[in-house]
Amino acid sequence: MHGFIKTLFGDRRTFIVAVSSIIIAYATLHSPATAFAGVILPLCLLAGAAYLARY
Amino acid sequence: MISIVIATFLTATVEWVEAYTIILAVALTIGWRRSVQAAGAALLALAALTAIGSFLLTRIADLAILQLIVGVFLTLFGVRWLGKAVARGAGLKKLHDEDAEFAALRASEKLNDARAAWLIAFNGMLLEGLEVWLIVVALGVQTHHSLAAASAALTALLMVAALGGMLRRPLAKVPENAIKFIVGAATLSFGTYWVLAALGYRWPLGDFTLAALFGFYVLGGLALIRLYASEKLNRHAT
Repeated sequence: MHGFIKTLFGDRRTFIVAVSSIIIAYATLHSPATAFAGVILPLCLLAGAAYLARY
Repeated sequence: MISIVIATFLTATVEWVEAYTIILAVALTIGWRRSVQAAGAALLALAALTAIGSFLLTRIADLAILQLIVGVFLTLFGVRWLGKAVARGAGLKKLHDEDAEFAALRASEKLNDARAAWLIAFNGMLLEGLEVWLIVVALGVQTHHSLAAASAALTALLMVAALGGMLRRPLAKVPENAIKFIVGAATLSFGTYWVLAALGYRWPLGDFTLAALFGFYVLGGLALIRLYASEKLNRHAT
């Protein structure tokens, strides 16, 4: 069961990285900078991958 | 469809290679018949999970909700694999070594108990296969190419089984990290695309966006590998 949950959601850090990136993209999408959501999400996720790689 | 098949095939190849190392180590202790039996039981469980997962997802009538669920899981998967591949590519983390894994498993005292060894083979196959399951179900259902995705995973399984059957040693030469890097970038591209589409964003390039996102993650990942590798070199030099 633990392996199943880990496969679906990853570890805590991965989960936080992905969910916070999506929340930031959602907030951007509902702000005056809507058009930038398509840039913000990939940038946040790449930064998240960089963080996961480093720590 | 071709991108779905390639992504699934590559994911499955990496995971089946890792599972094969476990099956091989167990087979040398309790025999091939019982070890393959354990792997077969795990494959049956995975097939059942695939059927259940696909059934549940196809019940979702709202496309946006389906896109969001699939997108979030692919994003979680992709960012994890890309992060790991960057860390390994830059030398921050050891490369996955099938020979070392095999040696460690062979040295394990747990293999001396036939029942425990059978369970190790079963769990190994099941856990490695869960990532294949996730990709087959998520990509397959979302793009209506479940059969193609499952066939790609099965082809990879047959290929690894044939190679393993011939060589009878760990498949250490498979470039696992390069494959994980490519698959991580690809699944993250799908995840990014579907999450934002589900939230109401209209991608300006339409479907071509996927190629652009893939290029962005590959180039970004390569830049990170270079940056971290040079930082590591500088730390050692000082």
